[in-house]
Amino acid sequence: MRMGPRFRPIYAVLERELLRMFRQRTRLVAAMVRPLIWLLVIGGGFAAFIGEARGVDYKSFLVPGVLGMTMLFGAMLAALTTVYDKESGVMRMMVIAPMPHAWIVIAKVVSAAAAALLQAILLLVLLVALGYAGRGAEWGLLAAALAATSLACAGVGMLTAAFSRSLDNFAGIMNFVIFPVFFLSGSLYPVRDLPPALGWLATANPYTYGVDLLKHALLPGAGSADFGIGLDLAVLALATAVTVAVASWRFSRESAYEPMIHVLADRAK
Amino acid sequence: MNAPRAAGVDTRAAIRATGLRKRYAGLLAVDGLDIEISSGEFFGLLGPNGSGKTTTLHMLATLIRPSAGSATVAGFDVVREPVSVRAAIGLVFQESALDRTLSVAENLRFAGLLHDLPLRVIGERQRELLELFGLADKRDQPVATLSGGMRRALDIVRGVLHEPRILFLDEPTIGLDLPNRRRIWRFIERLRARTGMTVLLTTHYLEEADGCDRVAFIRRGRLVESGAPRTWVERLGRHMLEVEGPDLDGLAAALEAKLGAGLREGDVAYFRCRDEDVAAIARLQAEMGSRASAWRIRRPNLNDVFLWVADGKDLG
Ligand SMILES: Nc1ncnc2c1ncn2[C@@H]1O[C@H](COP(=O)(O)OP(=O)(O)O)[C@@H](O)[C@H]1O
Ligand SMILES: [Mg+2]
Repeated sequence: MRMGPRFRPIYAVLERELLRMFRQRTRLVAAMVRPLIWLLVIGGGFAAFIGEARGVDYKSFLVPGVLGMTMLFGAMLAALTTVYDKESGVMRMMVIAPMPHAWIVIAKVVSAAAAALLQAILLLVLLVALGYAGRGAEWGLLAAALAATSLACAGVGMLTAAFSRSLDNFAGIMNFVIFPVFFLSGSLYPVRDLPPALGWLATANPYTYGVDLLKHALLPGAGSADFGIGLDLAVLALATAVTVAVASWRFSRESAYEPMIHVLADRAK
Repeated sequence: MNAPRAAGVDTRAAIRATGLRKRYAGLLAVDGLDIEISSGEFFGLLGPNGSGKTTTLHMLATLIRPSAGSATVAGFDVVREPVSVRAAIGLVFQESALDRTLSVAENLRFAGLLHDLPLRVIGERQRELLELFGLADKRDQPVATLSGGMRRALDIVRGVLHEPRILFLDEPTIGLDLPNRRRIWRFIERLRARTGMTVLLTTHYLEEADGCDRVAFIRRGRLVESGAPRTWVERLGRHMLEVEGPDLDGLAAALEAKLGAGLREGDVAYFRCRDEDVAAIARLQAEMGSRASAWRIRRPNLNDVFLWVADGKDLG
């Protein structure tokens, strides 16, 4: 019997994720429209009275933020489908497969990251076509920034999913995880211009470093970034490793999926 | 792969559990279960809802950690070697384990890849099994559009796609109408004939367990009795007598004096006629039949056995 890591299960989960993404057209369209609204409406509005942020016009400053937003939402939503999987039968298919249960977490994180990455690439194509991105970008660094950010976002999403019992707290997750993570990052304003308390929170938020890396890649030398490239990459890698480790630990405890058995027992009565 | 793993371990036992126990806050769902099931056996675990069947199956399938006791499945320890156990078994859950948004073929592809099967193998087995289970023309339909019976059949196909040596079926016919229940049983028969796999099934439709090599009754987490269905039914007696009547208490007492302790279920009293021949029963009816509004003699079945042992009575 061949033991050790197997890659077909990861491919299985990845394929299903992408299949679902392309079938749920509205989810895909929303993922493109939401950041464009931010950029054009909010960015346009603020640009009128802010003018410039840290030496770049406000709309250009916002481009890394909205690109990051696509990944944050895309990866979080994809990872959170794990909660739905727990309630539907799909998690049963996964837990009975001959692989360590931590492997499910890895597969889900990779798939969520891939879905987020694809959405970010689609948006990037749109942004380049509209003339909001591309000039002077460092493409190699951009690729690394997209990959590292989507993985970290997927890790945070998976951690949230591992501790969520049902889809009912989805609104709570939106309000207490996704929005704070987005607003307390350097997406809308430079971190160093924030008042101290908010600045500390933003500095403690791993997502901030993803947006920072995107600023380095999209606006090289413009001075809109707050941290170094090395620090950005290190924080993102660490955030991915820690969230995946904790989510895997949580998942390898049966309690992460056991409640459903109880539900089944009750329903059968 | 089947080599003895330690001296004294009988590899012919496909499943062996000793003192298996699961405690949930304040509730012993499974209470010290001992079971041994040989390779190739068709074993039925019977019991009412909430008696601990699913919990037992899930402990054997490594999805729930036992609170105490131990079990080996296909020679592997369920706590220490869960991945090896899962590689050797198939589990058809009590509730559907399918993605309703995907098609039949997509579900099987997903399940097959999760079991690390090459796509070519998945394709071949899927074709064969869908044919065997009468689903060949449904391959591209979304699972959500299948009827309950078809979905159950697909669940079983999903559970055996990787050709497990041991198959767990948790109430495979629950919620289905009679024709569909019959169909599912035919499928299971065909599978067993083709593969010779060990099958452990749970059900609370006792009449369905007649085809099992061996059955065990579980009640409040404890095994009550186990044996071959036919011998059991024979042990119960040659005939069952069912009576109803206006003064059931008096009638039952009179019958008890002749036939031994009976069972009461609502307005019906049951008695076993063990040694009595037909003539003896006829004499009994001549004597007491007038006090009964209904007097029925019939063959005993597994249901009677279950009611008997569930009532705490000895089969004798
Ligand atoms: N996760 C759980 N937490 C608490 N109690 C549970 C849980 N799962 C099952 N039970 C209880 O354990 C008992 C046995 O359940 P189960 O094994 O599902 O029975 P069956 O499959 O025979 O209907 C029931 O009383 C059920 O309510
Ligand atoms: Mg059950």
